[in-house]
Amino acid sequence: MILLAEFESPKVEYATISPLLIVVGAAILGVLVEAFVPRAWRYPVQVGVAALGLLIALADTVRVGLALDTLDAGLLARGSLAVENSMVVDGPTVFLWGTLLVMSLISVLLFAERRLEGGLTSFAGQAAALPGTDAEREASTRGIEHTEVFPLLLFAVTGMLLFPASNDLLLMFVALEVLSLPLYLLCGLARRRRLLSQEAAMKYFLLGAFSSAFFLYGVALIYGFAGSFELADIDAAVSASSGANAYLLGGIGLMAVGLLFKVGAAPFHAWTPDVYQGAPTAVTAFMAACTKIAAFGALMRVFYVAFGGASWDWRPLMWVVAILTMVVGSVIAITQTDVKRMLAYSSIAHAGFVLVGFAGVYAGTGDVVGVTSVSSVLFYLAAYGFSTIGAFAIITLVRDAGGETTALSRWAGLGREAPVLAGTFAFFLLAFAGIPLTSGFIGKWAVFAAAWAGGAWPLVVVAVVMSAVAAFFYVRVIVAMFFSDPVDIKPAVAVPSILTTGVITVTALATVALGVVPGPVLDLAQQAGAFVR
Amino acid sequence: MNGYIPILVLGAIAFAFAVFSVAISGLTGPKRYNRARLDSYECGIEPTPQPVGGGRFPVKYFITAMLFIVFDIEIIFLFPYAVAFDSLGLFGMVEMMLFILAIFVVYAYVWRRGGLEWD
Amino acid sequence: MNTEHYLTLSALLFTIGATGVLVRRNAIVVFMSVELMLNATNLAFVSFSRAHGQLDGQVAAFFVMVVAAAEVVVGLAIIVAIFRSRRSASVDDASLLKY
Repeated sequence: MILLAEFESPKVEYATISPLLIVVGAAILGVLVEAFVPRAWRYPVQVGVAALGLLIALADTVRVGLALDTLDAGLLARGSLAVENSMVVDGPTVFLWGTLLVMSLISVLLFAERRLEGGLTSFAGQAAALPGTDAEREASTRGIEHTEVFPLLLFAVTGMLLFPASNDLLLMFVALEVLSLPLYLLCGLARRRRLLSQEAAMKYFLLGAFSSAFFLYGVALIYGFAGSFELADIDAAVSASSGANAYLLGGIGLMAVGLLFKVGAAPFHAWTPDVYQGAPTAVTAFMAACTKIAAFGALMRVFYVAFGGASWDWRPLMWVVAILTMVVGSVIAITQTDVKRMLAYSSIAHAGFVLVGFAGVYAGTGDVVGVTSVSSVLFYLAAYGFSTIGAFAIITLVRDAGGETTALSRWAGLGREAPVLAGTFAFFLLAFAGIPLTSGFIGKWAVFAAAWAGGAWPLVVVAVVMSAVAAFFYVRVIVAMFFSDPVDIKPAVAVPSILTTGVITVTALATVALGVVPGPVLDLAQQAGAFVR
Repeated sequence: MNGYIPILVLGAIAFAFAVFSVAISGLTGPKRYNRARLDSYECGIEPTPQPVGGGRFPVKYFITAMLFIVFDIEIIFLFPYAVAFDSLGLFGMVEMMLFILAIFVVYAYVWRRGGLEWD
Repeated sequence: MNTEHYLTLSALLFTIGATGVLVRRNAIVVFMSVELMLNATNLAFVSFSRAHGQLDGQVAAFFVMVVAAAEVVVGLAIIVAIFRSRRSASVDDASLLKY
């Protein structure tokens, strides 16, 4: 029993967790800007605050990464616990922080695009105005826009940075909510097709709240089992327990539901297509890249560090989920007639491929450090993040009078209309399919190699077959763009400002670079090493 | 049992004070009856009439309710801090100030953007 | 009364909440069911806290309450926005996105 006299001031390692503090500081500054800066100035100031905050946090992450202590040279574990053991800043954390910050910086540029909607962002001018009313039109003509999206994005990034860095299940739950709540709101803020957008927000919210309740009950059961929220204590309790314990198994199962929901794995994937399709495309790009990165980071940390001793209990479960996810994602994607929705199913399939690497549970052998489960998943997430943001950025450009046009039939003949754009999109699709010389190939190779080394060869076989199935629907889109004639009206390609052009260029270059010279980033992922416990 | 005596004494004092206040105001207060005195809120706020057809309230009630929840729940962190503030020392003080500062930022946002205006 | 009783009650409440989410049609009621699940979890936290003789579980209950309040605000905002544009809060009516 903790008595009052035992309370002591906790020690907070501000220098180690400073990237997180910088992002949350920028978010709070954004709220102040929203309160006190005149309307005309808000947009540039908000974009500046968000971009600058993320840039400084990125530079700071590099500093933190260089200053990590080496704990165990054999397994390449480096880093330290922070804030009274409730956070851990180690190699994987720093790699994930870096990836997340780069991806969110790119997303900020996509959020800030104003050329496509005639000088306004692609977010609802006034979310409170009813769709299709005079109030909405008036807000639009007066140029009112919600610049709150930038602080909301920063708050979501805060949660994402905290999620894989938490060493304490309670903190992990709080991080889960901090990353989810802003995303629920962002999903409902589209300027066009607002009913769809609001519906996506409601579905995401209700299912997200449902799944986080499961996660939380899992945390409660684990707390009952181990008597602590700290991952290392739970690991000790798992190792000490003999035989099956109902609290432990129930807790693992329920927490898996919550985490697998966030990564969009089947059978908890039902929200993904609806939300990806209904949300504003910039938000979809941000979610598809960053939520996945953060959620897989947390999934690995919980299951490897806390439940590593019980891995024979949860491995079969993860195998089934991985196979189901790959099959559902790849097979249902074939029947899709909407490009955005097809990419959503593709993201489910990719979650399955990442799960293959995760379920292999391969930690490397002693002195020879090859591709481990952790490093392969880290690399895959970075590679997939770039291509997916790029692909969604291109979707924002194919438009008609009603806004973006995402029906696959309307994309027919795009290759003749805009060869460069269609070529870039085709390149991203090939990267998703895992064609050599793209980042997708190296990513797939890495996770499959790790899973194979970990003895999960049946998973690898299924994954290779499903990659072939997935290649089919990517190629179908390419055929539609280049080798078929437009049905009725030619697709129109809007000319974006430097922001979206820059995003597409950077992500395409990253996809090439990670495919042709993956060495540096792969090395970085391997240098990240093992989790510190 | 001894530990409960102060609580009983406090309860007795509170009860006595309540009875005393009600009795003394009835005995010494001026007795003027008019329409305002018979209103629900004597301080002058008109009770909002029930919505026509019953049931639905304007959305502005909802905004007030949301703001109430957000600002009400902060007490949950202040309360444990109040119990242990002396052992947390300067560190706890600074952290709590930061927390309250963050709440004030939100308050400033709500105030500047018209969340506190009724109409 | 030992811990088991409280845990059984908490599991029952959690199940009632989960069932409510699955069978009810009104978004507000679905959301109330989620809140019931969170509060069932609080009961589990507090009883485990008592069983282990620590305060950690009670601290967790505080945090869960705060998170639940934040979730209420965000959730009601979304549901009210939907209700105002469609005049209905039924989760069955929200079916523009499918397949």
